[in-house]
Amino acid sequence: MPRLITLTIAAIGTLTFAGCATMNVSSHVERSLDIGRYHTYDWGPADALPAGDARLERDPFFQDHLRGEVEKAMARRGFEWSTDRAPDLLLHYHANITERIDIDRLDAQRGYCGENGCDVATVQYEAGTLVIDVIDARTNRLLWRGWAQSAVRGMLANQDTMARQINEAVARMFAEFPAPL
Amino acid sequence: MRPLGRLTVAVLGALALTACATTNVRSYVVRGMDVHQYRTYGWGLADEQATGDPRLDNNRFFQERIEAAVERNLNARGFEKTGAGESDLLIRYYASVEQLVNADGADLPYAACDGCRPFVFDSGTIVIDLIDARSRRLVWRGWAEGDIDGVVDHQAWMEKRVDDAVARILEKLPRSVS
Repeated sequence: MPRLITLTIAAIGTLTFAGCATMNVSSHVERSLDIGRYHTYDWGPADALPAGDARLERDPFFQDHLRGEVEKAMARRGFEWSTDRAPDLLLHYHANITERIDIDRLDAQRGYCGENGCDVATVQYEAGTLVIDVIDARTNRLLWRGWAQSAVRGMLANQDTMARQINEAVARMFAEFPAPL
Repeated sequence: MRPLGRLTVAVLGALALTACATTNVRSYVVRGMDVHQYRTYGWGLADEQATGDPRLDNNRFFQERIEAAVERNLNARGFEKTGAGESDLLIRYYASVEQLVNADGADLPYAACDGCRPFVFDSGTIVIDLIDARSRRLVWRGWAEGDIDGVVDHQAWMEKRVDDAVARILEKLPRSVS
């Protein structure tokens, strides 16, 4: 099998990062939900799943900044943070990190191929998924789940980057939050 | 992000090609077991399992859609739902998501790979088990797997894919001979 051209590591990294640097945001919602019936909320205990990653969930800066952004987003929608009496809504979040792979697009197109097929560069990266759950405190049923996904490279070691990522994630997630009927 | 280096796509290709684009549906009848000796079913063996996709873990919009589709299809086949502890059959399902590579011809001898574009995609699998409630032995297993890239992010697509997958899995249940 002929030896194949190998791109430099830097080139592979740059190309692939371009593919996974964008943030993916979406949500699921209870179809018949009238969020106007709910007025107060508090933070509640998170479920065991989805599994969190300690690098985010045990990072005090991450926790504080995320909670602050979510509380601002809830306040803008008219919800009141209530810790002194039974709230209407409970919120919790999960911050998960999963290993994912990507294929170098340019490399794939050129096709460095031999008689045994082509060699294709794959790149492994860490994808973060932030999930925010909004639960009916009385029935304990999930009413809305929003999520944001992006590569966590750079974010774990840099608080400015982490803050920017959290701000974007929360703003875009809550843009999908249901409006009162 | 760290480069893994070069994997020969041929290795991954065999796994990936079975899962691209279409939904593949299969089933497995346990020898000596006859689905038609059972009439009632219930959800009795629920255990919380990680799916491999945090968006779907503990997500009731996903779970309830599967359960509703299973009940609709089993009822249409003449089974009757009863409370836990009263049924002949227990139903259990698993859902999982994993990334796979579609080699798009890159694993074939090289002339065939002109312009081929290998890609990574999310493959989703739903497994439905019918279990004898008394003996706790598997009676029948059906499953579907397919490319679900982008599906979870659109609730309506997810619901449609779940409905379609569950209907096609349970179509594989053996028909009554009588």
